[in-house]
Order: sequence, then structure tokens, then C-alpha cells
Amino acid sequence: MADQASAVTKKKGLSRQTKRDLVAYSFIAPNFIGFAVFTLIPIVFAFALAFLNWDGSNPITFAGFDNFKQLFSDTFFKAALKNTIIYCVGTVPLTMIASLALAIVLNQKVIGRGVFRTLSFFPYVASLVAVTAVWKMLFHPSKGPINNILYTYFKVPLEELPQWFSGGLVLLSMVLFSVWKYMGYYMVIYLAGLQGISSELYEAASLDGAGTWAKFRYITWPQLQSTTFFVVVMLTINCFKVYDIAIMLAGGGSGELTTSATVLVYYIYQKAFMEWKLGYSSAVAMVLFVLVFVVTMIQFRGQKKYAE
Amino acid sequence: MKKKLMSAVLAMSLVGSLLAGCGSSASTDSAANTDTATTTEKAEEAAPAETTAAEAAEEATDAEPVTLKWAIWDKETTAYWDALAEAYQAANPNVTIEMVDLGSTDYMTVLATELSGDGSDFDVVTIKDVPGYATLVQKNAILPLDDYIAADGVDLDMYAGATDQVTVDGSLYELPFRNDFWVLFYNKDLFDAAGVAYPTNDMTFDEYDALARELTDTTFGSQVYGSHYHTWRSTVQLLAVLDGQHSVLDGEYEFMKPYYEMVLNQEADGVCRKYTDLKTEGLHYSAAFSGGDVAMMNMGSWFISTMMTNLQSGEYDSSLCGNWGIVKYPHADGVEAGSTLGTITGLSVTTACDTPDAAWEFVKWVSGENGAAVMAKTGNFPAVMNSEVQDLIAGLEGFPTDAESKEALNVSNLYLELPYDANCAEINSVLDTYHGSIMSGEMSIDDGIAAMNTEVQAIINK
Amino acid sequence: MKSAKNHAIAQKTIVYIILIIIALLMLIPFLWMFSAAIKSDREVFQMQPFVFIPENAKWNNYLDIWTKIPFAKFVGNTVFLTIVVTCLQLLTSSFAAYSFAKLEFKHRNGLFFAYIATIAMPWQVYMVPQFIMMRKFGLNDKLLAIICLQAFSAFGVFMMKQFYEGIPNELCEAARVDGMSEYKIYGSIMLPLSKPALSTLTIFTFVNTWNDYLGPLIYLKTETKKTIQLGLKMFISQYSSDYGLIMAGSVLSLIPVLIVFLILQRYFVEGVASTGLKG
Repeated sequence: MADQASAVTKKKGLSRQTKRDLVAYSFIAPNFIGFAVFTLIPIVFAFALAFLNWDGSNPITFAGFDNFKQLFSDTFFKAALKNTIIYCVGTVPLTMIASLALAIVLNQKVIGRGVFRTLSFFPYVASLVAVTAVWKMLFHPSKGPINNILYTYFKVPLEELPQWFSGGLVLLSMVLFSVWKYMGYYMVIYLAGLQGISSELYEAASLDGAGTWAKFRYITWPQLQSTTFFVVVMLTINCFKVYDIAIMLAGGGSGELTTSATVLVYYIYQKAFMEWKLGYSSAVAMVLFVLVFVVTMIQFRGQKKYAE
Repeated sequence: MKKKLMSAVLAMSLVGSLLAGCGSSASTDSAANTDTATTTEKAEEAAPAETTAAEAAEEATDAEPVTLKWAIWDKETTAYWDALAEAYQAANPNVTIEMVDLGSTDYMTVLATELSGDGSDFDVVTIKDVPGYATLVQKNAILPLDDYIAADGVDLDMYAGATDQVTVDGSLYELPFRNDFWVLFYNKDLFDAAGVAYPTNDMTFDEYDALARELTDTTFGSQVYGSHYHTWRSTVQLLAVLDGQHSVLDGEYEFMKPYYEMVLNQEADGVCRKYTDLKTEGLHYSAAFSGGDVAMMNMGSWFISTMMTNLQSGEYDSSLCGNWGIVKYPHADGVEAGSTLGTITGLSVTTACDTPDAAWEFVKWVSGENGAAVMAKTGNFPAVMNSEVQDLIAGLEGFPTDAESKEALNVSNLYLELPYDANCAEINSVLDTYHGSIMSGEMSIDDGIAAMNTEVQAIINK
Repeated sequence: MKSAKNHAIAQKTIVYIILIIIALLMLIPFLWMFSAAIKSDREVFQMQPFVFIPENAKWNNYLDIWTKIPFAKFVGNTVFLTIVVTCLQLLTSSFAAYSFAKLEFKHRNGLFFAYIATIAMPWQVYMVPQFIMMRKFGLNDKLLAIICLQAFSAFGVFMMKQFYEGIPNELCEAARVDGMSEYKIYGSIMLPLSKPALSTLTIFTFVNTWNDYLGPLIYLKTETKKTIQLGLKMFISQYSSDYGLIMAGSVLSLIPVLIVFLILQRYFVEGVASTGLKG
């Protein structure tokens, strides 16, 4: 009897809860199925592939840590890793500073604020192929207007005009380009952050006679800490993923990148789709993942610290 | 219950991922098995068929309709694909040739992707370059043709040694139907204007260098470039292998140094356009030459038909580049004139092909005398080269009328841009990379060559 | 008093000078693009003097580009992909996000963690296995591959969930007491409220899909299936010296994204602020 009764209540409770669950799952299902099939499974597969040797056709063989060991003696991998890190170190702070400054300026009551906001967002929405084509014209080593101005007005001798897309300058060009292209995007995020700061804080500071710099130093900057964290992490992740900017600004005669411009994702692509070393290419991808993972962990730690 | 549902979902996704993982490995295994199975079968089939090869071909003509799917590039701008397919279909009414255009930019990468694993439906594929060929051979994506060649008695001598350089462990996986060789294009108007004699079919590199410098005019606004080197590594590195003593697969590249020096010195003196400019613009060699300010340019013979077609259609301004000619490549001291580089374009039968016999018939026809005639009529150089074909091309409307240009078609030694090697895809990308480094001034010639040596030797010794 | 006013004026002036410099930096490449599109090759790099619109402007470059390459086909493919991906993304992620934000169910946190964990995972890490799998499904060289690739991003779910969490629970509770089904609540209460978030997600998705390069490069091979970005790149390598045409193509490729952006941008900052993207 008792068993029966409990069974009945249990059944009732179950059916109600199950129904609620099913409704909830029905909401999730369309996205989750696609997400699981096209993202989760490949990720699991990617981890496995790093420990295997496969060319996409012949039988798979087990490689253990061989792929990772090989990385240490690979000149091109090391160059790609170095360039990617340099590119990040250059791009992240510059973009952050530029977008913060822009956001602060555009948060003031100025005439045509909407127009300026829209303009600074243009580079972000513009197609990469189109804007890199323009940049390559503007920075053309011998005909471009930038070098033309350097030559005509700054009297830089012809032989010393900067070669923007090769050698030591290519990473600088990539950094400048990225700052230009993405600062509008991060500016919007900063704008959203700025709008969350209560105006009372500023009014109180004004009464105390605080100047512009003091207000920034003691109100804006500390209040924006969490936004800055978010911006820095997103920037870092996106910088590690850089590929198309490099290939479009610095790709050579056969589309190749020399050791001064090669980046991790280009190397992954080359190993996988040109040489069909899928295992090795996955191992490089794992390095990329670890880098991004470490940065994300630092962010979580930092956010926790600020939340306390 | 809820738990059960969740674990069911989890289990399903797990099974899914396992299936995906195993599925691919299992099916590749089976694909590999069937590959070997079909090859051995074919060997068995081919041997008894030897005597009746001709009959079999006859039968095939009467047999049920066959459709062959053929991978090609740039159908719109290249005349011979359609011409070859039409001519073959006219001769073999039961065969339908279906062409799939994969574009020329990343053709071999795209093709290798298509042929990876199973599931490809291509029967015949065009092989554009040797690294791509090596990839396909290693992936077991294309069939060895030896048994067919033996059974049908195809005489490989007519390819003048080109097939030897793409033989893999004694087996041949492609038959060439097009064979381009490099020549020196020059703009006669610029020579006339400068009052300098035209280049000849027998020039040393020193003479060539002097000639290029003589024609150069660095006056701003009316520049004339004595020479032009496209951004490919072939245009510089491969000048060095023409003496027949060296190969790009050696792993020792000091022999390239004099040629890099010649080109970089020319660049420094304004004789040719700067590599970094060309790279930034992505300037196409055809645009450079047809612009009318380049006196000499080394380029493959495929550019001959491009010049003829575009001058006729008015795409190129004939007042700028209409008066052109070709001569043989310059040569190193003490080496016979007429040594040059070759690039073969071949056809292969895929391992996934259901009707390999019909596909082979097509490959044999296109790469044989019949295909050669079609190729020559469109102004392209077939792999089967003889004096008739030369006469045919030299007689086409738009071909330079001077005797030197016709004589330039006579090749004495042909070296493939890249002979087959198991590692040639990797070696190729190393050489490409450091070519870029040297030419853009990122590395000195010595450093670049040292880096090539280290990296290529690491690949070879692996 | 007076000095304070002067100070304020000086400050304003500095702000405007900065703004104008920035606006110029942002605009110059686009002005250059527009100007180069109607110039001949000789005029393109001419600097002394620089003319914005040359005397014999080659407006027909904008027409020629449609016949030189199958530009209409590329535009068609890209428009198709972008619209389908954006619609799917908006629909499925707002659907899933509602569940994560407003419903109680078992394994909610576990499932959501799966999404969060992959946000930081660069696509490039798993693009190779994903490609192998897609080919198994027969999706190689199919537009559908790009749709599958782009339409179910973790980012969309995360963003919409953040937004829905900002909407008071009482709204839903009240509706539930009235006997509304969850689907009804989603459709008639939540969806109309989420305009800013949906606009923001639309801009992100639209821009990403429209401008994606590596995805189409790997999956779309046949010329008739290529997108504008691939087409432009192909065109640049074929007609390298014809700057006018290249720039005309570039200008044309910008127009649709700009239109979408201009329509939706008034919701944009609000959307970013309310979805907690600021962290």
C-alpha cells in the first residue's frame, strides 16, 4: 500500500517535472543539436587528432606525443608562435587605449555624436578583402600616398622608404590595421560600460573640485575595470585567431607567408590543407587552444578578484 | 527519469561522436582496402586483355553510355578543355564528358580535398603541379597506370623523358597532355626605340644581364624595365638548375646564389620592378608585360597563347605590346643553348572511378597524338612535341613571324620545375618561403640559402 | 567664473579636434576606395595634385564588374547565406536562451557550461575535424555547410541569455498564472522586448557571415558557389593591375552591410549595454 501510494505521488510529480523539462529541452533542442553536431563533436575529435597521424585518406596511426615533440624543432612553428604573440602584445593595448579614448570622447554631449559613432564603426563592418586592398594601395612601398608624403614632405630618401608589408615592418602594419579596423567595435563596448557609471559620482567629484584627469583616474578607470577585462580578453582571443589579415596584407607570390609574417592559424591551415598532416596541424591547434585557455583563466581569476 | 533522459541524450551525443570518429577511420580503412583490391583486380584484368586491347576499345565504343567526370580549372578562359572534350565525344559517342571547374587559384588543394577519403565522384582529374601529384599519390587517390600503359603499348618515349621525372617507385600515375617550357618574351618596340639589337636564341646570362641594363630607362614618367621577374620562385631559383648539374631537391642551394645576386642587383639598379612592389600589388605577369614598359620577361610558353588571344580580342593594347617575340632562355657559360624548364600538365584516373577502363581510354586519347593535335590548334603545347606540332603553332595567326621566335620552340634539354619526390610538397613550401624572404630583403642571400639548406635537409633526413 | 567658461570652451575645442581627426582616419580609406573606383590606372596613385573625382570619371567600372566576373552570382550566394544564417541564429539562440534564462530544468547548468566552454575555443582549433565530418555528411562544396557552420554559435545563446536575465521574472510568472504556455510567453512577451538584443545579434551575425573568408575558402570550391569575399579575392588576383575595377567591386561589397548597420545601429549601444557584453 505504502509503496503504491508513494509510487502514485512519484509518478504524478515526475510527470509534471518531466513535462516542464521536456518543454525546456524543446526550447534548447534546435540550437543545441546543431551546436553539438557541428561544434562539440569536432572539438572532441580535434583533441584526439593531435595524438594521431592521419592524411585524410590512409589508415590512421597512433602518434602519442610525437606531434608535440616535433613542434620544438620546427622553425616555422616557432616563428608563427613568436609573430602571433608579438602581434597580440602590440594590438591588445593599442586597441584598448584607442577605443577607450574614443568612447570617452563620444560619451560627451557633442554635436553629431551619432554620426561620429557610426563613422568609427564603419571599418568594423567593412569587408576585410576590400579594406586590405585599400590599405595596400595607401601603404604601397613605392607609389602609395603615405610613402609619397614621407618622401615629399619629410625628405625620407627613396631607398629608405619603409617597406610596409615585408620584413620587420609587416607586424607593425598588421597591428596598425587591426587597431583601425576593430577599435570601433570595442568602443561600443566601452560606451555601454560608460553608460553604466552613475553621473552622481562625477557631480560629487566636481563639487570637490576634481579636474578632468582626476575624474578619469579616480572614477572612470576604476568603474570600467570589468569592462576593460572583458575587452582585453576578447581582444586577446581574437588576436590569437589572426589569419586573414596576415594573408591579405603580406601573402607572397604563391600566397605564402615568410617567417617574418607567418602566424599560428596560417600554419594550421598550411599543414592541414596543403600538406595533409592533419595530426600535426591539430597539435599546433592545441597550442593555440592552450594559449587562449590560459588567457581566459586569467580573466576569470581577475573578475573574481574584482567581484569581491 | 530525468536522469535517464539526460543520460540518454548524453549517451546519444557520445555515441554520435564515437560514430563520427570510428566512422571516418573505418571507412578510410575500407576505402584503402578497396583501393588495393581494385588495383590488383585491374592488374589481373589488364594482363589477359593485352592481346585484345584494341577489341576491348572497340567494344567499349558500342557499350552502354558512360559519363566521365573530369576536374579542370578556368573553363571560361582556357580554350582547350571544351575542344578536347568535344573532339573525344565526337570520336566516342557513348561517352559523355562532364567537366567540373575547380578554379585555378588553389586547384590542387581543392582537388586533394575532394579526393580525400571516400565519397568523391571524379573519374579523371587534371594534375596541375608535381607537389599536388605527390599528395594524390600518397593519398592513394589516383591509380597507377603501368598495367594500362603496358597493355596498350603506349610508347613513353614520345614524352621526351618528362614521365621519368614523375615516376613514383617505378610506377607512373599520370600521363602528360600538355608540356609548357619557359622562354624569354620580349617587346620589339622597346628594342627598336632604344636602338638595341633583339635578344638571340644563344645568350649567356651575362649577355642577358647586360642587355637588360642597356634597355633600362629610369627616367620618371617614361620608365622602361629591361627585365621582369614574376613573384614565383621559379622565375629566379630555377635559372640555376639549367646547367643540369643541380636539382631543387638537393638540399644544398649555394648554386642559386649568382642568380639571386643578378636579380637583386638588377632590382637595386631599377632594371626590374621591385619584388615588394609586385607582392603588394599582386601584379599579374600578363599585366606587367602587356603594359608596354617591360622589355624582356621570362615566362612559360602558356603565355604565348594568352598573348595571341588577348591581342586579337583587343583586351591588350597592341600599340603597347603588339610587336613581340620570343627567344630561348639564356644559359650558363659552357652550357648548350636551349636548356629550359618544363611544367607538365597531366591526367590521372581516380581510385574512386567506377569505370576505370573508360577513364583510361580518355586519358590515353587526350595525352596521345589525337589530343596533341587538338591542343596545338588552340595554340597550346601538347606533351607530345614534334616538328609538325611546332609548325602548326608557329603558323597560327598572331604568332611572331620572325624565324628566331619559331626556332625558340626547339628545346634541347627540359628540366621539370620540380621533379617528383616523396617530400616535394614540403620542400616546395620551404623554398617558396625563403624565396620570399630573400627577395623582400628580410634575409641576406647567404642567410636565406643557409636556412633553405637546414630546413630541406631536416625534411630529407626525417 | 570667466576662466572656468574659457576652460570649458577650450576643452570642447580639443574634443572636436580629436573627433575630426579620428573621423578622417576612419573615413580616408573609404574615400580613397570610392575615388579610386572611378579613376584610370594612371590617375590612381597621382598625388600632386590629388583629385577626388577625376575629369573623365570611369563610372562604368561599376557596371563592368558585373560582367567581368559572375559578381551577381557571388552577391546572390552571399545574400542567401547571410539571410538564412542570421534568421536561424536569431531564432534558435533566442529560443534556447529563453529556456536557459527563465526555466528551471535538470542539467541546466551542465548544458550551459558546454556553451560557455566553447566560446573561448577558436574555430581554427577544430576546423579540420569539422571539415572532415562535414565531408562525411556530403556537405563539402555546398552552401549548406556554411549555414551549419555559422548558424548555431554559442555566442548567440550566451548573449541572448544575458539579456533575458535582465528582464524581471515577475513578468513571466504573471503570465504563467494566467495560464499562458511557455511558448506563448516567449512569443508574445519576451520576443517583443528583445529588440535591442536581437538587433545587436543581427549586426554581429550579419557582419560575420557577410565578411567571412576562411570558412567559405575551405568549404566552397566551385566558382558558382563562391561568396563575395572569395570572389573579390579571386578578382584581385586575376585583374591585379585594374585598380578601378577592384575598388568598384569593393565599394559594392560594402553597401549591404552598411545598410543593415545603419538601420539597426540605433539599438546597438543599448543592445550591447543590456546584454552584459561589457562583462
